[in-house]
Amino acid sequence: MKFEDSEIPEGINVTQVHPLKELAVLLGGAAIVIVLLVYALGLSAGYLARYIPFETELKLASPFAQDAGQPTEILDYLEKLKERVVDVMDLPEGMTIRLHYSDADTVNAFATLGGNVVLFRGLLEKLPNENALVMLMAHEIAHVKHRDPIVSIGRGLAVSTVLGLVLGQSDLDVLGNTGLYTILHFNREMEADADREALEAVYKIYGHTSGAEDLFHTIQTYREELDEKEGPAFLQTHPLDQKRIDAIDNYSDEHHWAKEGKPAPIPPSFVEALATDR
Amino acid sequence: MMDLIIFLSLLVLGYLVGQWTEKRHYRSIREREQQLKGLPIVTYRFPPKNKIFDQRLVTGNVVISVDYFKRFIAALRNFFGGRVTSYESLLDRARREALLRMKEQAEAMGAAYVFNVKYETASISKGRKNAIGSVEVLAYGTAMINGSNDA
Repeated sequence: MKFEDSEIPEGINVTQVHPLKELAVLLGGAAIVIVLLVYALGLSAGYLARYIPFETELKLASPFAQDAGQPTEILDYLEKLKERVVDVMDLPEGMTIRLHYSDADTVNAFATLGGNVVLFRGLLEKLPNENALVMLMAHEIAHVKHRDPIVSIGRGLAVSTVLGLVLGQSDLDVLGNTGLYTILHFNREMEADADREALEAVYKIYGHTSGAEDLFHTIQTYREELDEKEGPAFLQTHPLDQKRIDAIDNYSDEHHWAKEGKPAPIPPSFVEALATDR
Repeated sequence: MMDLIIFLSLLVLGYLVGQWTEKRHYRSIREREQQLKGLPIVTYRFPPKNKIFDQRLVTGNVVISVDYFKRFIAALRNFFGGRVTSYESLLDRARREALLRMKEQAEAMGAAYVFNVKYETASISKGRKNAIGSVEVLAYGTAMINGSNDA
């Protein structure tokens, strides 16, 4: 019997793969998994959030609630207009809209938790007629009706929770004072649905949809002015104004709603009050 | 942010230093394997009958630590499954090094063969969280030394 030493062969016990390639593959895989997880959880959280009762949403929003303020010329008119809009919008029982007016220059308006709708002077004073104002108000109220704020917050909360768990960072304070507004992001479908609902309200109030598209013309003009001044990329959540104008135009046609008509003017006293309130 | 910077620098440091020491270790392993080629080691348990040998226990022991980069890759692997390639080279080095140390001891004794060679592998710092894992490999066998015939 002979006893001999054998050389240890290379490349059998160790897989020949570059460590950096291995790292890239694994990290890529992990990224895909996280993205899918976040997407799936965000969707399901948004879906479930619609079933949160409105009273619960009110309780959630109560720490952030503000007073409607002293009745003034401005609020008085806006409140009356709101009543007319709410009457035709067929809101679910128990859902109340709390309207807020801000004298800031911001050209914007938004709906948030608890049926709170905020209108800024900056946008109000640019609107050419009452129909456009009704379109704006009904659009924001439609967000509340569709439960978009709670869905958006539900999604945001789920996403940040998952990211917090996976990446080991606790950024869970999203219901903090600032988080409440910055997290609100309505997607394009939500906007389109709200546009349609709002257009219907305009039609029900005035018997025609004329003037509704002026809201988007106003925003479009403002955006173009701003682009010239500061470059693009502002108000990105409401993109493609022309598409939205076309979309509501088509929607009127589908329902054979009259598109011609004389838009109602905004009362001069209201315009005056806005001009002095700064 | 600070955590991320620390993590990334540990990763880069682990990769650079880890790869460098691994390459150097492999070079040394191959060199010494060539040098000790003349001493056969086998797993056969029974000594040859035609000749009488003195028999002694020889052992080679090594502890190797995993670097931060390897550990990170292995942790990701735990998630997806598959070959933990970063640990494969670690264990390969440990086994070959243990064998070499055992052979060096046997050679110093003037052994002709080492019989009945076996390995033991143990993980140090097992189960402790956040501890960088180390692996111990022990190789042992019976050195067969050409001895006196006075047995």
